[in-house]
Amino acid sequence: MPRPRSALIALALAGWGLAAWFLWQTEVPDDLRLPHVEPGDAVSAGEERAASDFEEFLRFDFLLSQVAVVGALALYAVFGPRFLRESASGRIGSGMLLAMLGLAFVWIVSIPFSVAELWWSRRHDLSEESYGERVLGGWLALGGEFLFICLAILIVMGLAGPLRDRWWIPGGAVFVGLAGLFTFVYPYLIPEQEPLRDPALSASAREYARDLGVEGVGVRVERVGELTDAPNAEAVGLGPTRRVILWDTLLDPRFSDDEVRVVLAHELGHHARDHLPKSIAWYALFAFPGAFVIARVTRRRGGMRRPEAVPLGLFMLVALNLLALPVQNAITRHLEAEADWVALETTEKPDAARALFARFTTEALADPEPPTWAFVLVDSHPTVVERIAMAEAWAERGGR
Amino acid sequence: MPDQLPIRVVVEDDLRRSRLTVAFRLILAIPHILWFFIWSLGAFILAIVAWVIGIVRGRLPDGLHDFFASYVRYSTHFFAYVLLAANPYPGFTGRQGSYPLDVEIAGPEPQRRLTIAFRLFLAIPAIIIASTLLSTPFAGGGGSGQNDEWGGGEYAFLGGGGVAFLVGFLAWFSCLARARMPRGFRDLLTYALRYNAQMTAYLFFVTARYPDSDPAEPRAAGDEGIPPQAVRMTVDDDGRRSRVTVFFRLFLTFPHLVWLTLWGVAALLAALANWVATLVSGRPPRVLHRFLSAYVRYTVHVAAFLFLVANPFPGFTGAPGYPVDVEIDPPEPQPRLASAFRLLLALPALLLGGTLLGLLFVVGMLGWFASLATGRMPEGLRNAGAFTLRYGAQVDAYGLYLLTARYPYSGPSRPAEPAAEPYDEPGAPLAATA
Ligand SMILES: [Zn+2]
Repeated sequence: MPRPRSALIALALAGWGLAAWFLWQTEVPDDLRLPHVEPGDAVSAGEERAASDFEEFLRFDFLLSQVAVVGALALYAVFGPRFLRESASGRIGSGMLLAMLGLAFVWIVSIPFSVAELWWSRRHDLSEESYGERVLGGWLALGGEFLFICLAILIVMGLAGPLRDRWWIPGGAVFVGLAGLFTFVYPYLIPEQEPLRDPALSASAREYARDLGVEGVGVRVERVGELTDAPNAEAVGLGPTRRVILWDTLLDPRFSDDEVRVVLAHELGHHARDHLPKSIAWYALFAFPGAFVIARVTRRRGGMRRPEAVPLGLFMLVALNLLALPVQNAITRHLEAEADWVALETTEKPDAARALFARFTTEALADPEPPTWAFVLVDSHPTVVERIAMAEAWAERGGR
Repeated sequence: MPDQLPIRVVVEDDLRRSRLTVAFRLILAIPHILWFFIWSLGAFILAIVAWVIGIVRGRLPDGLHDFFASYVRYSTHFFAYVLLAANPYPGFTGRQGSYPLDVEIAGPEPQRRLTIAFRLFLAIPAIIIASTLLSTPFAGGGGSGQNDEWGGGEYAFLGGGGVAFLVGFLAWFSCLARARMPRGFRDLLTYALRYNAQMTAYLFFVTARYPDSDPAEPRAAGDEGIPPQAVRMTVDDDGRRSRVTVFFRLFLTFPHLVWLTLWGVAALLAALANWVATLVSGRPPRVLHRFLSAYVRYTVHVAAFLFLVANPFPGFTGAPGYPVDVEIDPPEPQPRLASAFRLLLALPALLLGGTLLGLLFVVGMLGWFASLATGRMPEGLRNAGAFTLRYGAQVDAYGLYLLTARYPYSGPSRPAEPAAEPYDEPGAPLAATA
């Protein structure tokens, strides 16, 4: 007969699996077969080559930076506690100091990789940001990160004081709540928003929103033209704050109106299929076990109630994030594929969708067919080739 | 020992001021103003000559040394007169022993040629400090820019000329009314003039000794005659600074600045309640006094951390025990009339406190580079910062929170127990003066 503890663990695992299965369900037909598409079908060999060369560098830059960050934090987990002598603060204040210093080291270690990435993007005319702006911007962002990590430390160490190793239960809940709150207010934090002025496009946006049952969701245009040429769009907000943000780089003559319509329907699709609440639910499925692992691992430093444990906790947090990255990418790719499907069903414009996806390669230098390891580790969206294949699959089925 | 300093300021002033010459002091000083500018011009031209000779010979010829020494003395006499740090009309020659606020200057000594060659660059930090304390023709203007960013902008018309000119301006009213110079004002001016004299002497190759920014030097002057203070500074700091926390000091202070702001809102409400209660009952209620005292201490801790006056990350409660701290006397009866018009009475102190923020900012900025390079905070800079923090805490305690009825003391004074230990490690840089 299993002991109650094992039963509890089995129950938790079953609950986790059930929730994950439920969240994994999408509208994409189960029997959908993607036809084989070659990159050459959509873009020229030169364009394909340019995009894959471009991404290859960024991939390695990203990988190396992650290795460097994890390495730096591993070192910090060992040597960080000696900075306790620089603190005249109490338990939580000292923990804040150690956490901030950990982020400071991460920032220092990341600078070369960030500069290399900017150099590469500038070389390919995808960014007009200056190196000074990049470093200074990172510096200012660090100030914000310091405040955020202090809040996180306040929550964790505040709970770990009375609750000891059980802080992860209410702690996970608080962080999930914060994620929800942040998603809710995020639309108000985006600068330089203006209404969508093109009457034809905004009429289409209203029509799609009605078809998809998300009437209240409006479209705003974010002006980013001075910072970058790269096209992008996002679905943001929760409940009453839901909206679609288009970068103004999408509204220039490079993109046809029908292509922008596909983007609109894709983003509205995210809202119609509740992808943001689902993402928060996914986050919860990872946050609780993650917090539990951190609570367990830091026990040998006295648990997260002790400031000595903070550097180790920080290392665990970043390492777990990195480990979870392939799974998280698989989840977002799954959601993006559903949004693409919804866009095809709503607009019924597979040719525009094809042209749009091909343009991600020609304009944003997205590698149409990245190597599998990179796809698994780094890519949060389906590949260009897969997205084009879905458009063709939809067309072949003649709609449904 | 102070006696060995090559540039010493000697004060033989009884604080008495003649109302008539105070009233017309600026007009009376017009001949001196003209003469000072002519002499400054000459000093600049001769400085180029002295620079070349100094690089070649490694010391200054006696004639040039005496010329610049006289210039340093004369400019000190001149500013002391204009700013009311001394009473009598000064002579035009800068003769030693001719004025109550005088400068004793040692004879010429060999100097390292390299420091002569790069003297102007080496002097830049000293020029920045001097311009914050007292703007002069070669240290002018700098002060106002910093004031603007640090809340002193409203007082730029007074403080733009440095701390000393604001003190002179405030002292003018006091001297007219009482025919006496407040001791704190006189000593603060002496600090500014001493630093300016040391900086000018260093700049013009009179000495190779770097100016000492410690407000309470020379110690021989002593603390006797200084009125008792209700808010006293305590410094227990060995000068060591952690380079990592120095480099990220501003951002590391962010959580404290957030908490300081939140607490500040509560402190404002508590201050209002304390004001009403003190008016009614004639003394601050113990609870409010304790709450506001903790807030004042916390402000000192955070500012000391941010501006590198202290090393460790402070706690969030304002509990006593931080290396740079203030002791605040328990509540005592306060005269109701003075409590009623407290903000008005505190206006001069608030003005001066705002201007001294400029000095604190300079301390933090220069200390940042010094601490990053050497892992230590220069003792003089630290004490200058501690002085501004002490005065600021007194201004807050008197003017804003009614923790005491004792007026802030603007003069430099030695920190109270635990006494500030001079750095005793042999390798301590720039601490040789103590
Ligand atoms: Zn999407």
